[in-house]
Amino acid sequence: MALSPQQLVDTLSGLTLFADLSRPQLEQVAHKMSEESFPEGQRILRQGFTGSGFYVILDGEVAIRIDGNEVARLAKGDFFGEMSVLLGEPPVADVVALRQLHALHLGGPELEGFLSEHPTVMFRMLKTVAMRLRNASRWRS
Amino acid sequence: MPISVDEKAAALASLPLFQGASDESLARLCNVTGEVEYSAGQFVVRQGQVGSGLYLIVSGAARVVSGSHELATLGPGDFFGELTVIDQQPRTASVQATQDTVCLAVASWDLLDLLKSDSALALNLIRGLAARVRSNAEHHRH
Repeated sequence: MALSPQQLVDTLSGLTLFADLSRPQLEQVAHKMSEESFPEGQRILRQGFTGSGFYVILDGEVAIRIDGNEVARLAKGDFFGEMSVLLGEPPVADVVALRQLHALHLGGPELEGFLSEHPTVMFRMLKTVAMRLRNASRWRS
Repeated sequence: MPISVDEKAAALASLPLFQGASDESLARLCNVTGEVEYSAGQFVVRQGQVGSGLYLIVSGAARVVSGSHELATLGPGDFFGELTVIDQQPRTASVQATQDTVCLAVASWDLLDLLKSDSALALNLIRGLAARVRSNAEHHRH
């Protein structure tokens, strides 16, 4: 079910990715991104397939699966799809809704411009990607 | 002998981290990059420290140690420290010079300032890190 603009901005203000944004900036984000819902079991990104975009989870949970093996789970406030978009490559994992998923979506071609307009969002994304890499390669401090 | 500005720029441009960065971004980066010398046995960074900077080895050699375990050895062209700069977590390992070693160093506050004001450089860095996460994922599959 779609949120009212007011509720959506309230929800966004509680997400780490958007923590540095002012109310008017949050309204811009809410305006720019579109709300999407997926039923349980739906594949949102497909390993090896192009298309897709950038997603921020508002409610629900997804599994990240590589060759059918679950490697991670993401929930409210987490995001996915940015790596394929920024690298211009197909996703290397399936992203599957484990229960009803409510997310914000931004089309791939819009992501760079969006991040450049919101440097604080970009910086938070950078931190998250750094954390992922840290988890994948322990010593490289 | 001090490293020339051109050599500095070329060394930074060769880092996968900054590959594809514009000349303007590299010039800004060069301005905040210093040259630091370490004698054999001296620590460049210590485990547990919060990231103080990004380092690129120009000459010499170093080893990566965690507690009493040696995890890797490093030489010219190798770099480290970029993740702690970005996420400001404590370093997970120490790096100790095993010979007299020269590094290019970018202080974390300078790099953070640069990333916050230079969105092209930040975007480039996300791409570089994403590619590494991805190559790790590929690596685990095979």
